[in-house]
Amino acid sequence: MIGAVTDLNNTREVQFFRTRSENSRSLELVTSVVYDEHPEKHIWETGCLLRCELPIRLPVYFPAKNWPDAEKMYLRATEAVVAKFKDPQVVYVVETLSKASTGVPQPVILRGIELDFDTALSNIKLLGKDAHDSDPKFLSCAHFCLKSKSDRPILSAENADIIQLSVLLNSSEKSEKSSSPVAEYIPALEEAGLLAVNFKLGVLCYAAKEIPVMYAVSKLIIPGLVDQLNSMKNVILPNLLTKHPQLCPYHFNPPGVLHPITVIYELNYGETEMKQVDIRKSLHLRLGLPSDRPLLRIANALDFSTTNDSARNDTIRKGSTLLKDVHVGIPISGVPGGIVSLIQGSYEYYHYLQDSFNDSGWGCAYRSLQTIISWFRLQHYSSIDVPSHREIQQALVEIGDKDASFIGSREWIGAIELSFVLDKLLGVSCRVINVTSGAELPEKCRELALHFENQGTPIMIGGGVLAYTLLGVDYNEASGDCAFLILDPHYTGNEDLKKIVNGGWCGWKKSVDSKGRSFFLHDKFYNLLLPQRPNMV
Amino acid sequence: MANRPTCKTKDGRKERKRKIYHAAFRFGLRSKRRKIQPVKMVKAVVGEESQLKLIEDRLSQSGLPVQLGLVVGKLSSPLDRGFVFDLVPTPPNDAGEAACSLLESVKDDKEKGTKSRSQAAEVSSLFIDDDWVAEHARQVARMLVGGVGVVGIYIWVSSDAFKNSTIMLYQTIKGVAEATPVLETDREERLLIHICYSPMRWTCRNCTWTSNITSSSLRPCDFKMGRVLTSLQTFKCTYNFNLSLPICHESASNVQTLRDVLRQGISHHAKELKDAKAIIDGNLVVGDEPCTLDGVHEVELLLPFMKDSNAEACSRKDALGVLVFNGSVCSFAYLNSKEPISQAVSDIKMDIIMSLQSRLDIICDEAYGDVGPKDDASPEASDGISTNKPVSQLVLHFLRKECSLSFPRRVFVPWLAGTYICDYLQPSETLEVLKDHCVELMSMEGPTDASTILKPEIEAPSLVTKSFWDVAAPFYSASSFPFGDDMEEGRDLDNSQSSVKLSNKLVFIG
Repeated sequence: MIGAVTDLNNTREVQFFRTRSENSRSLELVTSVVYDEHPEKHIWETGCLLRCELPIRLPVYFPAKNWPDAEKMYLRATEAVVAKFKDPQVVYVVETLSKASTGVPQPVILRGIELDFDTALSNIKLLGKDAHDSDPKFLSCAHFCLKSKSDRPILSAENADIIQLSVLLNSSEKSEKSSSPVAEYIPALEEAGLLAVNFKLGVLCYAAKEIPVMYAVSKLIIPGLVDQLNSMKNVILPNLLTKHPQLCPYHFNPPGVLHPITVIYELNYGETEMKQVDIRKSLHLRLGLPSDRPLLRIANALDFSTTNDSARNDTIRKGSTLLKDVHVGIPISGVPGGIVSLIQGSYEYYHYLQDSFNDSGWGCAYRSLQTIISWFRLQHYSSIDVPSHREIQQALVEIGDKDASFIGSREWIGAIELSFVLDKLLGVSCRVINVTSGAELPEKCRELALHFENQGTPIMIGGGVLAYTLLGVDYNEASGDCAFLILDPHYTGNEDLKKIVNGGWCGWKKSVDSKGRSFFLHDKFYNLLLPQRPNMV
Repeated sequence: MANRPTCKTKDGRKERKRKIYHAAFRFGLRSKRRKIQPVKMVKAVVGEESQLKLIEDRLSQSGLPVQLGLVVGKLSSPLDRGFVFDLVPTPPNDAGEAACSLLESVKDDKEKGTKSRSQAAEVSSLFIDDDWVAEHARQVARMLVGGVGVVGIYIWVSSDAFKNSTIMLYQTIKGVAEATPVLETDREERLLIHICYSPMRWTCRNCTWTSNITSSSLRPCDFKMGRVLTSLQTFKCTYNFNLSLPICHESASNVQTLRDVLRQGISHHAKELKDAKAIIDGNLVVGDEPCTLDGVHEVELLLPFMKDSNAEACSRKDALGVLVFNGSVCSFAYLNSKEPISQAVSDIKMDIIMSLQSRLDIICDEAYGDVGPKDDASPEASDGISTNKPVSQLVLHFLRKECSLSFPRRVFVPWLAGTYICDYLQPSETLEVLKDHCVELMSMEGPTDASTILKPEIEAPSLVTKSFWDVAAPFYSASSFPFGDDMEEGRDLDNSQSSVKLSNKLVFIG
């Protein structure tokens, strides 16, 4: 165990202490502490994740007239599971979880009888990188990790080496005498009930690559499974015979936390029900996560599916290939000494003529709205589909802003209509900034920069002329020099990033360019719609 | 079959032969495969030369005008090939009549010159006791192990008579196929081998019946002799199982006999077994590579960890009792060396399920035969249960007493080229019975040396009286597991609905 102490009054230096073993009472000061600038590099280069999913279904018989006994039988059943993990007949199949189809190490079998539960963790002999042994007992976790790291430049839990473990029962274990089958019927002499209890276990462990995989199983995976089983057991116990909770573990890797965490949710409650919201809030609080970012929703959970076309991939699901985050990597604005403030999070680029829908000349604000809604979707604030033009018009008719004839028309909409739709479909409120002339916009840069820092949502620019989406500002407060990162919905080409960037459909626009032309027209008014980030988790 | 003259025999097995049950009892394995596997037809058939030459000689010396029997072998979907190991003549039925005979016509002499098609049919055509052949197939199939099956029929007859009787032969094949369903594939395909005596010639046809009987349903395929048996790979598995089948109140409306419950339990277990992973010689089976090593390969089957599929999704039920069905099945399967190793795994699984199914059938067949005379009732039935019904016919919902049903043990008898067939022995039966079966059903000489018979299974133990609570919670027996030190006592979970747990981290600091 490691502990840390800091003196708030004096040096503010953090001191670390450790204990050698669980029972030890003495604390030792750790003298050498390395502060790594990129701790994630160290973590994922020297370690890997072990993943084990295990659905369990237990029949629990209990005397119908004696409820306390039902609980006792239930507890005994779960105890039996705990004991069974160490049964000699249990077989652990170890395999590499990888999207690659070639170069993956062969799965290895570890038999319960070979596992060592007694050696203390600190006494385990680590295996060097070049330890090669055909005996599965002495294979290290590194054996199951992929050698080439080149294709995975980002070191994170999602890209870590993952070793998958499956728990199975060997039903061909040799015994001295196998006797031919027999069926015996035993009637219950008193009234008895039968309850099937389900546990959906799923643990994720972090292990140094050098430890032998058999110890990773006996010292990490099995205790992890036991812990989780006990947690779930205790949740189910109070309402054993009345409620049937659907507990399901999810793994998350929220920003700022180096290792994944596991949360067990009760799926009988909807995600937006207050009960679940409160649970998420308290989890955010305990983990020190921001209280206005949905980070622990099920949609945020780590996805370990090995197929590339997982259902979470929205573009593939829709059968289209919308571009995401087109502003990443574009040329800089050229504002000397400017500070760049950008939206936070991903969006999809919606523009004219997409989905074979001809909206050229009137649909720019609709497209801008679609881009904004895609941002809310991708940040998991909402799970609604990005609405079509018609659905947007429908929403405006429903709230009484427009007549029924509006549906199917080619009428323009503006910033105010967008705010209505965002409120109706997402429950998102907006702030509006009006300027009577484009010349006033640079004055608003400070406010806009603040918006991007605090809210981080894409802004829609509407008004007397064309509609744009604003993704960021680059602003030098001293000189007043500024540039706007504009995503232009008027693009009519195909989803070709190069074409979009070279054509300036996504790029930095100075209010006055090198030729002296103004991007924002001085004789027109502008409405800026600033969607507010929902204060929710 | 009901009006067939019967003669009660000493060993009960002949009695068994007369009963034809709905052999088309289908397991889940069948329908699932249907969607995945495109039906590929066998294009070429290889017969085991050493055995078939022997049969050919025997037939040509016999002077018999006609003989019909079963083709024992294997049809391999992935290889598009059929393998014939042996031909087994169908014995005369209980009335002593041959399973197949030639009907000679009175017009024989007069009309020989014209040879019109219809008259030719009258000249010589076959009479086949379809039901009898099907019953023979059913019983032979029981004696075969994994990867070996009844894959069709053969007929030794003149080509004229053969031509006139194709529809009848087709019907016979269909009957045989229904009696010996191939569970693992949806192949509705069997072989029809014709051995013609003048000139001596072997021809093989591939018989399918998706549509009505048409000429296209009997397609000729290549037939040649070669070495088949010696290249077989042997796989062996001892499968231990322990099923707890709850008997609940709510199903009381459709009362089930012990046999029904077991049948259902076996078919349910078949589905579970289908997805089981396998270890062969210590290695997990992953790919579809063929097996190259010689010798007997040990198969171990891996089943889900504590996932009792018999306890249905969470709903409170009133349990009347529990049927514990456990024991071991010793299983063999033979694989052609070109077949993928995964085939051996599915053959072993199929053999295990078929073995359980066959044993249950044997018990039930015998029980049917015993319904009449009281004194013949099976030993279990007289075991303190005040009913004349055999145990397998008891309705568990109404039964307030323990009862038990011991399955016969499986023994393996040497067959061709080092392979084995199997048989089942009831506790009261001796090896003599086994000898009879070999001679009668498989047309082979019974084993002369009892020591060559493999008896890997011991007789099922007699009922150990346990209380319901001991049995209902079999793995809870505290004595066998050392609880204590490493058991974490009810760690409290704050808030009840969710918990955060840091992933188990192993940190080494130096």
